[in-house]
Amino acid sequence: MNNELYSKLVDMYAGNELPAELEDQMELAAASNAGLNHDMTTLRRVVDTLHQGNDAEYTEESHHRILMKLYARGAEIQTQAPVPSHFQYNLPLQG
Amino acid sequence: MPNDALRDSLAEKRWLTALSKGDPSALGGLYEMYGERIFRYTFRMLGNRTDAEDATAETFLRVLRRSTELRADGAFRTWLFRIARNLCIDKMRQHKLMELPSDAHYSGSEERATLRVTVQQALSDLPIEYREPLVLCDLEDMAAREAAEILKISVPALKSRLYRGRRALRDKLGGTLERTS
Repeated sequence: MNNELYSKLVDMYAGNELPAELEDQMELAAASNAGLNHDMTTLRRVVDTLHQGNDAEYTEESHHRILMKLYARGAEIQTQAPVPSHFQYNLPLQG
Repeated sequence: MPNDALRDSLAEKRWLTALSKGDPSALGGLYEMYGERIFRYTFRMLGNRTDAEDATAETFLRVLRRSTELRADGAFRTWLFRIARNLCIDKMRQHKLMELPSDAHYSGSEERATLRVTVQQALSDLPIEYREPLVLCDLEDMAAREAAEILKISVPALKSRLYRGRRALRDKLGGTLERTS
């Protein structure tokens, strides 16, 4: 197998893009080839780790800060969720 | 088209039509549909919550500014991500944001949290042409065709960058993945 085809198959294996039958054949080949096995498992682990990533949590605070930025720039935006009072600006008392 | 996708498509069409007529609830409707995804995307591109919030707000302001030009032809989401992408690139150029975010929130076990920090750092260290396909396809679970449209490249070019990016990320992570698996 030439190097380019080998790499492409491993890349597709890592991304779960291969048909099941071909994936089985790759795993069978990897069982007797330590280099191939390492390449396949480490790359798939990278993909799995990224898919499980929960690093960009969209918090309620971020939601309301974004809305506030929009209001501050003059955007008329109405959402179904009410803005909590602690996120609203305190207006100075007149008089 | 699956029911969820059809429902979203109809809702998007309804909000875009309403927005073009000046309905103030329309921007809120579109924000509720896409705000979280745009925030996650910008956070992963910029690695910083404050800048991600700014970029998300600016993305929707641009939607509002161009509300009369928008058409409900199915390309809105791609256009929205393109706006967010351009804003992220501008911010990266302005601030050269390559460091680990100081305000990132990582939950879960200590081991998993450490892995996330390491992955985020490694991702931030990758060249932008590798980071973008990884964020869109592997973190955002976007189809290759749509990601390619956002990046204005062909699907084969996207896949080539994606595959190279995964290998580059693996090389940067070294034995970290094996220790935490």
